[in-house]
Amino acid sequence: MKRNLLALLSLLVLASMVLAACGGGAATEAPAPEQPEQPAAPATEEPAPATEAPAMPEFEGKSLMAADCDSTGIIKGVEATGQYEVTFTLCQPDPAFLSKIAFSVYGIYPEEWLAATAGDEGRTSEGLEKPVGTGPYMVSEWNRGESITFTANPNYWGTPASADTLVFRWSTESAQRLLELQSGTVDAIDNVGPEDFETVSNDPNLKLMDRPALNVFYLAMTNTFAPFDNQDVRQAIAKGIDRQRIVDTFYPPGSEVASHFTPCAIPNGCAGDPWYDFDPEAARAQLAAAGYPDGFKTKIYYRDVVRGYLPQVSNVAQDIQAQLKENLNIDAEIVVMESGAFIEESSAGRLDGFYLLGWGADFPHVTNFLDYHFGAANPQFGNQSPTYTEVLAKAAQIADPAEAEPLYVEANNAIREYVPMIPVAHGGSGTAWRADVTNPQASPLSNEVFYVTDPGGRDVFVWMQNAEPISMFCADETDGESLRACEQVVEALYSYEVNGTAVEPALATGCEPNDTLDVWVCALREGVTFHDGTTFDANDVVATFTMGLDASSPLHKGNTNVFEYYDYLWGLMNKPAE
Amino acid sequence: MTNAENDIKSLNAEGISLKSVSLWQITWRRLFRRLSALVGMTILGILVFIALTAHWIAPYAYDDVLIGKEDVKARQAPCIHMFGCPKDQPQHIAGIDGNVRDEFSRLLYGARLSLMVGFSTVTFAIIIGTVLGAIAGYVGGWLDNLIMRFMDVLLAFPSLLLAIAIVTVLGPGLINALLAIGIVSIPAYARVVRASVLSVREMEYVSATRALGGDSFQILFRRIMPNALTPLIVQGTLGIASAILDAAALSFLGLGAQPPLPEWGSMLGAERNQVFTAPHLVFLPGIAIALTVLSFNLLGDGLRDALDPRLAHVS
Repeated sequence: MKRNLLALLSLLVLASMVLAACGGGAATEAPAPEQPEQPAAPATEEPAPATEAPAMPEFEGKSLMAADCDSTGIIKGVEATGQYEVTFTLCQPDPAFLSKIAFSVYGIYPEEWLAATAGDEGRTSEGLEKPVGTGPYMVSEWNRGESITFTANPNYWGTPASADTLVFRWSTESAQRLLELQSGTVDAIDNVGPEDFETVSNDPNLKLMDRPALNVFYLAMTNTFAPFDNQDVRQAIAKGIDRQRIVDTFYPPGSEVASHFTPCAIPNGCAGDPWYDFDPEAARAQLAAAGYPDGFKTKIYYRDVVRGYLPQVSNVAQDIQAQLKENLNIDAEIVVMESGAFIEESSAGRLDGFYLLGWGADFPHVTNFLDYHFGAANPQFGNQSPTYTEVLAKAAQIADPAEAEPLYVEANNAIREYVPMIPVAHGGSGTAWRADVTNPQASPLSNEVFYVTDPGGRDVFVWMQNAEPISMFCADETDGESLRACEQVVEALYSYEVNGTAVEPALATGCEPNDTLDVWVCALREGVTFHDGTTFDANDVVATFTMGLDASSPLHKGNTNVFEYYDYLWGLMNKPAE
Repeated sequence: MTNAENDIKSLNAEGISLKSVSLWQITWRRLFRRLSALVGMTILGILVFIALTAHWIAPYAYDDVLIGKEDVKARQAPCIHMFGCPKDQPQHIAGIDGNVRDEFSRLLYGARLSLMVGFSTVTFAIIIGTVLGAIAGYVGGWLDNLIMRFMDVLLAFPSLLLAIAIVTVLGPGLINALLAIGIVSIPAYARVVRASVLSVREMEYVSATRALGGDSFQILFRRIMPNALTPLIVQGTLGIASAILDAAALSFLGLGAQPPLPEWGSMLGAERNQVFTAPHLVFLPGIAIALTVLSFNLLGDGLRDALDPRLAHVS
């Protein structure tokens, strides 16, 4: 008996060892042949012309050109028409071209580096963690889970960075962020807790910066699930939520109730009728008429992540739960989800109840709010209504805001009628800085740049934000915490002014459109070098857009390979058929 | 005969009764003589009273949002008229929570939840653990090996970690959290029961029952199991304390009771960022958890001493 048992045990041990050996073997074997291939494969294709370029006196311009406008989105082609001139050809006029091109996701990378870090399945870890750009700072070290250290770029073309070293840290707890700031271990923090606004403004050692509310928090419903498929139900809920109460109780000063989805500070944002007034009587009547006199059971999904548009997530969720019960007799169970899963499920329209989400402006244009959320292709609210999708598509091609206004009035009124979601608030948020730091910022676009800040003569400037960047290859990221880190390193053709929303030339000295706004010629800045020493020219711009736009290119590799912003703002080229 | 009668008389004269005294009576007396056990029982008594009468003694319902009903702000500090809070302000002994609800009422209702959590998980674990332990100890052999090795596997994980894993699979919620904590605490009871079964399984009175033709079920549950009762009671009382603590921890992490249920752990977790601006919302639920756990621990310690015959001379 005992001997049998021993034999069995030893067999089991042996088996597990074999398994472990095989498993480990597979894991270590698989990447082994890849590693030599990775640099080798693109190396034969790409660096050949690159090494030729300096040798030959004539500049050989590259180009990216779609076969026709059916196989691409807005951009038909990007051509290097000179060593320092790039021509963008569009399939339709784009009045927001400069606002969009300045977005840090479209930062320019050196051509050779893009080829060298394009792995087989996705960007190599070198590419994801140590981006090479032209910016004022270079990544020197990323301790996962700890901090990211940047060093100043000695060859920066613009004003050199004030502090030699920049450190990014993060903490999800606003109390901890404030504590670190008060104790002086960090120089500035993002998203001061709503309860701490007073503490910070009363502290002579600290400076509070209010960030304008260029965002929106909305209560969404997916209308492919009953009972949200009934427009009357959605309208009843819209009237049955006291949004003023939510803003008054849970939002910091500087926040406002959303009268429209788009904040009023953005041209045409507030066109059309304001949102429904709170009217519980009418709401109950309408819900009863729609066939739910006793309410119904549903869920409220959210992710426990603080954003400027939603500073107190769980409290707001509970208040909406209480209001639904009190005003409409709707029983809503609260479900907290992991952030990544929540975004995946909600954006695919798979959540069968309410969900709490919001949006912060990437660039200050009404299309950044409306077209992203209410385009025909977006399934996050279920079925979109043609009453606004068609109007929005038409309005997006008009450059003059005054001319586009009637269309935005029509679109906003149609959204109000259809209620794909309920806009609740434009949340004010704030950053806090040690008082001796010059140029404190609270950018309306949440893209603070730190080379202009001087931390009171100290060598190191430490910034603490909400969360760790996901990766630093921002061409394929959407997360604001990641984008802010990239903005210190990589630059686009244009940029937004510090602490503002206006665009100003960066790597381009200027981009001029033709009369019909569908060809833009950009003159590039000369004498700019990348962190790796290579010289910036038009081919780097072409390679960057090839990497982002052309789904068939070997360069089209990122963190998730989705390239959401390239796809959403421009439309990918040569998308594989689904 | 006469001698014996005389003895009894003389004993009676000395005020010592020979009336039979049960184990429970002895335990009870010993328990009352220990100060720590008394303190534990007093706190527990108050808690049970609060739990049973929460809907009468709480000034508000636990999910009553006071926006628009009273002039109060979210996370307002406690206002007690007796201690100088102006009479024209509504009295809130423990302040207002982040969702503008009366914190004191929520704390009272929380007692109900915590006691329910403690008793239900431990009852669940005791039932399953007893059955498993009794079978393992009585049947023995490969079945014993199988059951106890499985229990060893459960014990090998840190209990809270295992509970988190189970809740992750089942999905967050109070019932699932209870189930997870219940499952995690099974091995302790299974071991206790198995040990006592092993110690008496071969004793003469058990053999006698067997010889008289008693079936296994009768032997196990009528003759053997009563011996396991005392250690089970002690283990169970201490187990309630750790179950309440685990449930609070799970709720703190957002895996246990879901809002708007006033679970102390989740109340504490929801306001952890306000520890400097609204300390009452963090400390009061924390104190409530600590008091409850302390009361069960004190009572459990007292019970262990009182039930242990070897410590009889101490009392």
